[in-house]
Amino acid sequence: MTRLYLKYAVLTVAIFVPLIWAFVNIQNVYPVATWNVMMAGGLLERGRSYWILRGETVSGETIDIRPMSLTNAMYARTWTMVNATVDNQSFKLPNPYPANAELMKQAGGLEHLPPGARVPDLLRAWGDLYNERLPASSPQRLKAIRLDMYRWEGGDFANYDKFIESWRQDL
Amino acid sequence: MAPRFIEAIENRVVPASAFALGVARVAVHATFLISVLIASFSALGRLPITILRPTGAMRLLPWGFYEQLLTPTGMMILKLAMVVSLVAGMLGFFTPISIKSSFVLVVFYQGLLRSFGHFNHDEMLGIYCLAVLAFTPCGDEFSLDKRLRRNRKDRPAFAYAYPILLMQLLMAWVYFSSALVKLRVAGLTYLSQNNLPALAIYHSLDNLHDTSFRVAFWLPQIKSYLPIFVALVLLWEFFFPLAVFFPRLRWLILGGGVAFHLSTLFIMNIFFPHQLALYLLFVNWDRFSKPRPDAALNRASAVLT
Repeated sequence: MTRLYLKYAVLTVAIFVPLIWAFVNIQNVYPVATWNVMMAGGLLERGRSYWILRGETVSGETIDIRPMSLTNAMYARTWTMVNATVDNQSFKLPNPYPANAELMKQAGGLEHLPPGARVPDLLRAWGDLYNERLPASSPQRLKAIRLDMYRWEGGDFANYDKFIESWRQDL
Repeated sequence: MAPRFIEAIENRVVPASAFALGVARVAVHATFLISVLIASFSALGRLPITILRPTGAMRLLPWGFYEQLLTPTGMMILKLAMVVSLVAGMLGFFTPISIKSSFVLVVFYQGLLRSFGHFNHDEMLGIYCLAVLAFTPCGDEFSLDKRLRRNRKDRPAFAYAYPILLMQLLMAWVYFSSALVKLRVAGLTYLSQNNLPALAIYHSLDNLHDTSFRVAFWLPQIKSYLPIFVALVLLWEFFFPLAVFFPRLRWLILGGGVAFHLSTLFIMNIFFPHQLALYLLFVNWDRFSKPRPDAALNRASAVLT
């Protein structure tokens, strides 16, 4: 019985000590979590950028594409994946992927990289996944896929869709 | 002292049977099994490694490993391993091994997802529940192991009650600490009337979220009432631990949780399905395992009269 008490005491400490550390520091270090979801609230004055994924079909239409339907495993994390890719966050790692380190070197450093340097890689993956679900002769197949960036400047509950820029990838 | 405390609450607030812990094992494993089965791992394997940002412990693995893994074949092998492990854990087959392998595989897979996106919290409670189950005798009942082996080690009720209490406390911590963090960071400005509409609209503008509900755009019209709603949510989070110790309040608090998570889906296009599924940990499963002839008799007499 004493052994059981000891085992459960160790289990409790092993789980709760890291959780309390993360809470005190308000820091997530996977797999140690602090539940800081939406902790800062929504400041109306703060501007915010957002993105819409669109496809250009062979028949000439422009359609909205929900990435959830292409890579559903990512579900609630898709918007931050795009956010991070546009912000070149994969280049900011202490030990970046070798191809990213090489690209950074060619560009002359992180500050010389264009925003969204790896967005074309992501668009091509999504575009290929979309097209593979359709017959080769389908007019709904995409000839290009693009990520449109918009900005809501904030300050008022209006004017949500100021166009900023677009990344386009031919398929 | 602590064991006496536990004995005092066994069967009053926490079920204390091997059966109840077995049901908890099934609930946690089934939750992850369903999410793994419906996820397209081969599509995930098509995402470019150039946008991967290994997070936390995931940085311990070398890039060469991710190169091998992030292919449709590599991800299908991972999916197969996870399905086999989670099914075995759910059924209670080779339980001491399968619950540990499920824990390790789920930690890895969830870390991979967060290395593409962000550190979201929906599945985190489930991961901690898997950690608890991995070191408990959760296969003693309601398992294939029980059917295949006749002899089972006799254990005190504490061996089954405490892990269930621990998982419930973890859920209480999730909500309680979330309320405290909001108050620490934002203070009372969290209750400003623009807070919720601004957040909700931001999460409703793109087509990258789980859903595309547009309820958020209606919120500015009623923004003067929203601080009351936000304050109620904060109070609900703050008092969630009462659900662990006061069974009479439990269903009210959990009902509030269901309403809250459904509201975030429609208002913010953000949903926490894994966390909602784990509300099952608060059901007193012992009530379903033990025959209650007196209750059956009462029902029968009520029907007859």
